Amino acid sequence: MSTLTKVFDWVNHRLPIQNTYERHLSKHPVPKKVNFWYLFGALAAVVLVIQIVSGIWLIMLYTPGEAAFASIEYMMRDVDYGWVIRYMHTTGASMFFAVVYLHMFRGLLYGSYQKPRELVWIFGCTIYLAMMAEGFLGYVLPYGQMSYWGAQVIISLFGSLPYIGESLELWIRGDYYISGITVNRFFALHVVALPLVLIALVFLHLVALHEVGAGNPEGVDIEAHIDEDGVPLDSVPFFPYKVLNALVGIGVFMTVFAIIMFFFPEGGGYFIEYANYEEANPLVTPDHIAPVWYYSPYYSILRAVPDKLGGFAAMGAAVAIFFVVPWLDRSNVASIRYKGILSKIALVMFGISFITLGYLGTVSVTEHRKTMSVICTVIYFSYFLLMPIYTSIEKTKPVPDRL
Amino acid sequence: MIGLTSAFGAAGVPFAATPFIASWNPSASAKAVGAPVKVDITKLAPGQQIQVGWRKQPIFVIRHSAEAMKNLDSSLSKLADPNSDAIDEPYKNQNPTRSKSSEYSVLVGVCTHLGCSPKFFPEVEPKSWDASWTGGYFCPCHGSTFDLVGRVFKGVPAPTNLKVPPHNFKGNILTIGEDEEMS
Amino acid sequence: MNLIAKRFINLPNLPLIFLTLFCIFLIQNTFSAEGAPCKDYGECDEFKHTLTDMTSLQRGASTYLTYCYGCHSLEYSRWNRVASDLEIPEEIFFNNLVFDASVRPGDLMAGSMSKAESAVWFGVAPPDLTLVTRLHGSDWVYTYLRTFYEDSSKQYGVNNLVYPGAAMPNVLASLQGNQQLICKQIPVIAENGGEKRDNFGNTITKEKCGFLSVESGTGTLNKDEFDNLIYDLTNFLTYVGDPDKVERERIGWYVVFFFIIFTTLASLLYREYQKDYH
Repeated sequence: MSTLTKVFDWVNHRLPIQNTYERHLSKHPVPKKVNFWYLFGALAAVVLVIQIVSGIWLIMLYTPGEAAFASIEYMMRDVDYGWVIRYMHTTGASMFFAVVYLHMFRGLLYGSYQKPRELVWIFGCTIYLAMMAEGFLGYVLPYGQMSYWGAQVIISLFGSLPYIGESLELWIRGDYYISGITVNRFFALHVVALPLVLIALVFLHLVALHEVGAGNPEGVDIEAHIDEDGVPLDSVPFFPYKVLNALVGIGVFMTVFAIIMFFFPEGGGYFIEYANYEEANPLVTPDHIAPVWYYSPYYSILRAVPDKLGGFAAMGAAVAIFFVVPWLDRSNVASIRYKGILSKIALVMFGISFITLGYLGTVSVTEHRKTMSVICTVIYFSYFLLMPIYTSIEKTKPVPDRL
Repeated sequence: MIGLTSAFGAAGVPFAATPFIASWNPSASAKAVGAPVKVDITKLAPGQQIQVGWRKQPIFVIRHSAEAMKNLDSSLSKLADPNSDAIDEPYKNQNPTRSKSSEYSVLVGVCTHLGCSPKFFPEVEPKSWDASWTGGYFCPCHGSTFDLVGRVFKGVPAPTNLKVPPHNFKGNILTIGEDEEMS
Repeated sequence: MNLIAKRFINLPNLPLIFLTLFCIFLIQNTFSAEGAPCKDYGECDEFKHTLTDMTSLQRGASTYLTYCYGCHSLEYSRWNRVASDLEIPEEIFFNNLVFDASVRPGDLMAGSMSKAESAVWFGVAPPDLTLVTRLHGSDWVYTYLRTFYEDSSKQYGVNNLVYPGAAMPNVLASLQGNQQLICKQIPVIAENGGEKRDNFGNTITKEKCGFLSVESGTGTLNKDEFDNLIYDLTNFLTYVGDPDKVERERIGWYVVFFFIIFTTLASLLYREYQKDYH
C-alpha cells in the first residue's frame, strides 16, 4: 500500500470521510428525472459561497461607522479591482434572493414541503427569514441616504409595538437617532452573527433533505421501489450525473451574474438604489423611500394596511404564513401536474399577485395603486388561507407509480 | 470531454483569483501617503542637518562641510563596515557621502539595532561615549554610534550602517523616495 | 459543431425567455433617463456619454476646474488618477489645470471652499459632485446646467427649471448669456391634430409661458458652442462618477464569453453522460 493510502486509512478510521462522501455526495441517490426548477438549490449554495468570499474581502476594505460612505468610494476607486469585489457582493445579494424565490416557487409547484419533507421546508423558511434580516443589515452598511432612511422606516416599525415600542427603537439604534453606532452594530450582526446562523441553517436544511431524499416534478415517492441494495430504482447517483447537470446550470447562472455585474451592476436602480449615492443625511428625506426590489412585495403589503401596527403585523404574517404551508395543503397529491384546476388557478393568481405587489412596492403611492395593492394582498393571503379548502375539494389526477 | 471542460474551467481560476489577490496591493491612498517627498536644500548650511518624514520614517539630510569630508577617513579603523558591503547599498562607491551628491548625505534615521532615532553630534570633541569623537550619530537607547555618513562603529549593539533611501537631486530640490526623476 | 446547434435547440425555452425579458428590462431601464425627472422642465434632455473621447473629457475637466472646483469639491477623486485616465501628462496637468501649488499628485480633490463658511454664504454648502451623475443621472446634470434663468426674487438673481429654488448662482452666465423665461404665441391644436385656423386661413395662437430664451449678444458662446461645453462637462462628471466603467465593461466581455463557452462545454459533457442512464 502506498503511503498516501495508509495516511488516508488512518484518518478515515477515525473520521468517517469516505463514508460521508459516498453517502452524501458521490453515491447519494437523486431522482433520475428532474427539471431546471431543481437547480436553484445548488445555485443558492453557489451564491452563498460567493457572498461569503466577497464579503470577507469587503471587510478588509470597509470601515464601519461614520466613515462608511467614504470607505465605499475608497474601495471602488483606490483599491486595485476593489470594484470587482464590491459589485460581486451587491450582484450576489440580488441574485441570492432571485434564486431563493425561484427555489421556493419550485417548492410550491411540486409540493416539496409535503410529508416527509416538512422540516426541510421549515428550515428553508427560517433561512429565508434570516436572509431578509441579513440583506436589510447589509444595505444599511454603505450608509447612503437610502441606507439611512430605509433603516429609519424599518426600525420605526418596531416602535409601533405597544408599550415597549419606543424603548425598543432606542435600544436597537443605540443612539437617539440612527448614527455610526447603529452602523457598527449592524456590521457585527451582518458579518458574523447572521452568516453563522445562515450556515448552520443551511447545514440543517441539507441534512434534513438527505434524510428523506429529494422530491421530483411528478411527486412520485421513489423510495417505494428499491433494489436489493436498498437503492431506489428511479434514482441515479449524485456523482457524476447531477454534478454535471448542476455544472450546466451554474454555467448559465454565472453568465447572467457576469452580465449584471459587469454591465448593469446598479440594475437600473433596483439593485443599487440611486439615492444611495448621497451620504446619509438625517435632515433631508429622499423624495421616494423604497426598499430594494426583493423586499418590495412585503413593503406593498405593509403600505396596503392603513394602520402602522396593522401593516407591520400583515407584513410579518405574509412571511410567517410560508412556515405552515405543509399543513395548509390537504391534497393527496404533491405536484401541480396532478393537482386539480383550483390549485393551478390559485398558484397562478399567487404568482401574479406577488409580482404585482413587488412592482407596486417600488413606486410611489397613488389612489389607484393603493386599491391594487389591497386587492393583491387579499389574493396573496387567499392562496394560503383558502388552501385547506381548495386542495381538499378539487379532483386530482392519479399519480404514476414510477418515474 | 471531461478533460476539456475541467481544463477550461481551471483556466478561469487564476483570472477569478486576480481581483482578490490584487486588492491586497497598496491602494491609491496608501501610495499617496507613501509618495516621494520633495525637500528644498538651498537653506542648509554646511554642517547642518534637517529631518523630514517619508513613509513614517525620519530621514536625515546633512550638508557636510569640506573639513568634515576630509575627516571622514580618520575613523576608518573604528568602523565595522566602512564600504557598506554587508547591506544593500543603493549608491555604492558613487560618493564618500554614500548618496548621489558629493556634498549631501541622505540617511534613514532609524538605528539598525532596535529602531530608535539616533541623535546628531557633528562637533569634533571628546564625548562620554568616545574620547576621540570626530562627529557622527549617537543612539540614546543602547549607545550605538555611527559616523557622519551613517556608518556603524565596531563594538556597538547596532549590526549595520544606517540605510540610504532612494533619492535624486535636481537643482535645489532633493526628492526622497524616487531614484530617477519621473516626468 | 452540429452537436452544439442541436444542444441549443433542446435547451428549455422557459428560462431562456425569462433571461431575454430580464435583459431587455435591464437595458431599457439603464439607458432611459436615470434618476429624478427634470421637474419644471419636463422630461430631461437626453445625454449619451462618450467615455473614450479623451478630448471631450479633457475639455470637460478644464471647464470643471476653471468654473466649478472653486466651490464644488470632488472629494473621492484623486488628481493623478484624473490626469492618467484622461491621458494628460502629469506635468501639463499640474502646471495648467491645478491652481493650488500645495496639491500633491496623489491627493484627493478635496475642494477649496470651507464647508462651514459656504453654508453661511449660500444657505447650504455647495455639495460635493463626485457622485452627482450616479445620484441624479447624467441627463439631469446635462439639463440642469443649461436651464438657469433670470429671477429677481432669488438671492443670486437666478432660478433653475430642473431644480427650482436652487441656491447656486449661474456661474456660466458669461458663456451662455442671460437666459430668461419668456412667453410665446403658439398655435392651438385642433381635434384632428392640425393647427386651428380662423376664417381667413391664419393660424389661431394662444400665449404659453415657460420657454427658455437667451438674450442675444450677452454670452461669449452661441447655443451650439455652449451645449457642447456642457456636453463635455457632463461627460467629465460622468467619468468622475464611475471612473472604472470603461475597464469594467471591457473585462466584462471576456468574462461573459468565458462563461458562455464553459456552459457549452459543460452541456456537451452532460449530454455524453445522459446517454448512460436513458
